[in-house]
Amino acid sequence: MTDRAKFISGVTTSLGHSEVHTPSPEPATAFSDSDEDAKLKAAAALAVATDRANELIEQMAKAAENTGWQVHRVSNPEDAAELIADICRGYDATSVLRSTHGVLTDIPLDVAVRDTGVTIDVTESTDPGDTTDSSEREEAKKAAFSADVGITGVDYAIAETGTVVLHPRKGLSRLVSLAPPAHIAVLRPGEVLESLDELFAMERADFLSGTLSGSMNLISGPSKTGDIEGTIVTGIHGPLEVHLVILGNS
Amino acid sequence: MKPETKEFRSKAAQTLKNKTVLQSLEHVYTGFHEGRLKAAADTPDWEDLRTKGKAIKDHTIAHLDYYLGLLADNVEKNDGHVFFADDAAEARKHIIDLAHTREIKTVIKSKSMVSEEMALADALIEEGIEAVETDLGEYIIQLAGETPYHLIAPAIHKSRQEVAALLDDNFTVGDPIPGVDELTMLARAKLRAVFERADMSVTGVNFAVAESGSIAIVTNEGNGRMSTSVPRIHVAVMGMEKIIPSIQDLSTMLRILIRSATGQRISSYITMVNGPRKPDEEEGPDEFHLVIMNNGRDKLLADPQMRESLNCIRCGACLNACPVYRKVGGHAYGWVYPGPIGSVVSPVLTGLKDAHDLPNGSSLCGACHEVCPVKINIPRMLLELRWRAAEGKSDPAERASSMKERMLWKSWRIGMMGRRRFDFGARISRFLMRPISKHGWIKKAPPPVSGWTTTRDFPLVAAKTLKQRLAARKKSVDANRNRP
Amino acid sequence: MSETPTTQPRPERVTLFATCMVDQLAPGVGESTIEVLEYLGLEVDFLRDQTCCAQPAFNSGFRSEAFPVAKRFVELFEQVEGPIVVPSGSCAAMVRNYYRDLFRDDPDLVERAARVGDRLYEFTEFIDRYFGNDAISGRLSDTATYHKCCHLIRELGVDRPPLELLENVDGLEMTPLERADVCCGFGGAFSVKMPDISSAILNEKLDNIEATGANNVIAADTGCIVQMQGGLRRRGSKVQVVHIAEILAKSISRTAQTGIRTG
Repeated sequence: MTDRAKFISGVTTSLGHSEVHTPSPEPATAFSDSDEDAKLKAAAALAVATDRANELIEQMAKAAENTGWQVHRVSNPEDAAELIADICRGYDATSVLRSTHGVLTDIPLDVAVRDTGVTIDVTESTDPGDTTDSSEREEAKKAAFSADVGITGVDYAIAETGTVVLHPRKGLSRLVSLAPPAHIAVLRPGEVLESLDELFAMERADFLSGTLSGSMNLISGPSKTGDIEGTIVTGIHGPLEVHLVILGNS
Repeated sequence: MKPETKEFRSKAAQTLKNKTVLQSLEHVYTGFHEGRLKAAADTPDWEDLRTKGKAIKDHTIAHLDYYLGLLADNVEKNDGHVFFADDAAEARKHIIDLAHTREIKTVIKSKSMVSEEMALADALIEEGIEAVETDLGEYIIQLAGETPYHLIAPAIHKSRQEVAALLDDNFTVGDPIPGVDELTMLARAKLRAVFERADMSVTGVNFAVAESGSIAIVTNEGNGRMSTSVPRIHVAVMGMEKIIPSIQDLSTMLRILIRSATGQRISSYITMVNGPRKPDEEEGPDEFHLVIMNNGRDKLLADPQMRESLNCIRCGACLNACPVYRKVGGHAYGWVYPGPIGSVVSPVLTGLKDAHDLPNGSSLCGACHEVCPVKINIPRMLLELRWRAAEGKSDPAERASSMKERMLWKSWRIGMMGRRRFDFGARISRFLMRPISKHGWIKKAPPPVSGWTTTRDFPLVAAKTLKQRLAARKKSVDANRNRP
Repeated sequence: MSETPTTQPRPERVTLFATCMVDQLAPGVGESTIEVLEYLGLEVDFLRDQTCCAQPAFNSGFRSEAFPVAKRFVELFEQVEGPIVVPSGSCAAMVRNYYRDLFRDDPDLVERAARVGDRLYEFTEFIDRYFGNDAISGRLSDTATYHKCCHLIRELGVDRPPLELLENVDGLEMTPLERADVCCGFGGAFSVKMPDISSAILNEKLDNIEATGANNVIAADTGCIVQMQGGLRRRGSKVQVVHIAEILAKSISRTAQTGIRTG
């Protein structure tokens, strides 16, 4: 018997059975929900995100503030770029790292930042190949650890909790939103899901269709700890400050 | 970790004399417990969520063999590796061997109680591998050479001065104590350097999702994220019970976990890992290893009275609600898991005979049951363990009661089996105690209640029992409601 | 005012289970309980053979000793019909919530115990259910605070009724107790076996009681009462610990109108 078989057979015995029983459907878990149901839930989540976009943006703004984001509202792309450049200048930033989220090129961000004399780099390897090698990865890590500000868009946001959701992938590194002492996330209406239920419905649908990403990060405010005398302090390992720039309808 | 459950009373006594620690333990009530109460009150469907969470866990545990198989299949399908460890020693050896074969120099650890069962950090260090705890609280106690004091806040018992002495090389006792901000930034800088050079991480698992082979890691600090971003190898360790069936279940479980643990609506970070990094990602681990450990959990599983304890999602709410924990602190419980849940699992996992003071060290107030996000009935299990420790019925080797105690309860029973002897017993008690009483109260009672009067006055039995009083007024009846 | 309308048909006759602690240590509580129930128009019987519900032995793990005593309880009380009223949340909880565990190897006894338990009520729970918490219009001038007994609130889910009953006592100034729902540290044998821990928990409770400035602290369980009064006496405090039945009895008695003194 392999170790696995022995281990699991021990569990079966502890359960008082002689063989593994397939579970009958349990309503509390979504495990036996059909693929069809999962797709419908995901579609419904996206529909709500669009139909109630403005309402959800307001909810998101409030929840984000409650959980430690500094929330900024701008109404056009130029203002968004200027604001972000200002924030970077406020940190005396010399180098800034950003992801390849569409919104970050839809606004004149690179120009606005470079105009203030700050270098802005993109988290995407310059190698046109599909895979990265270890020296590229080492470079990427160094870049993230030395950047003063990390800027991303969002893959989703969650109104219930004030959360920004990122799926690391080519063009969106794991560290760009973690290593620099400040993180700026740019959000547009239509990107906000109502609650954790909708997010995980989307994730489940992705899984069932085989498109689940390698990892996912839910970010709800700055890095914090209360481990010393129960006093909350931000920036123990991740960003000390996080900014949510909400780009309103243009 | 070597159990020291026999030391419960003496360690409790030490904490009770330590004003600094008792003051720190207050945070557990005013911070965590009150936070949890408020979060529950602010969540309209809180009770429904608890009911759902319990149903999910009950179901999963009842089919643990099925879901373990599914989890392993899916982790491997995602190019991850799974190792099943019967006990802590096996798990520890596997991880050390892995570190050696992959030529690992620096291991970063994110909070994991399972890794405490293995005493992993110490073992790695003994093997010449740098192993650094990255959760700030865990880092502090690692520097202090101690074990965690609480499930969520491992260093809650440490004062700022003690922390400064551990973190700040330039600090000596007597200097002005650096502020919390300063100390935190100091830790950030130190641990940053470690993150940058780490080549392997060991994290815990808050939830392992069977249907997709994913794991979820919940932190506020971001060390969980660092652990899944920087090193080339990520090892996740879990107790075999930490499974949920579906990705969709995460929304319920995360809601009840986080609100129960700290009162937050959500933690700063939740990371879902679905295997090693994808080939085109710029960073992330090349390898993902999941170590699934038993270490005695099969005993809890096989025991119908104790199985419910496997539903635990390690939120710490029971600790925060417990009037005993708040006075005796985490170390009194003598093993990895303190507080009410510790009092239930430690005896089964490490031996009831030595640990019998744990289930007895409770006033049975039920606050733990009331706050548990998955409604675990801890008091019922405490009573079950007390029975086994008192009478050894399920296993004579477990009996820990003294002859004196057994005789005491035998005579109690005799005294309760008839009304005449009940009245007589009262009369004897009064006869013996009246000479040492004043105004109906006793300052120094004899055994078996002498413990009481160390700190409180003890009441004298009444001159006449209620029955005698009522009989005198012709108000008592027999079972046929006949008055005399 | 009671929020839930009392739709239960009112009984005319009830049986009192005093509990061993009331019977032997604080019989005045038993007499007060009877007074209040009679005030509500009930006939109250006291079965003279009663002793104990067996909770002390059960909680200490000595189930083989608890079993016969608990069985005797069932045998005694199943002989009478109608509601059984108990001035103790923990004893009521023992019968209703734990007899099935104690008797689990004897399904017939479990069934018999359930039938007794189904009509067994804690004192304030009983009044709330059948009469409403405004049924007693008493008068008593004094200051007091209320401690929530753990088994009453958590095992039986009886939280508001005692407070509402006390609110209805004219002249009784109630001050809320900080951390009212935190244990007093009694826990039965725990208070004797681990007196240092029990007392540490108690001291926090007593500090909170003294901080209210009230003359009295009211509770619904004699275990808590003895723990708190014993501790208050030891620290030289004049605060009196009183059972809610005694308060209510005094409030409706024609003789004592002011002050609360335990007999």
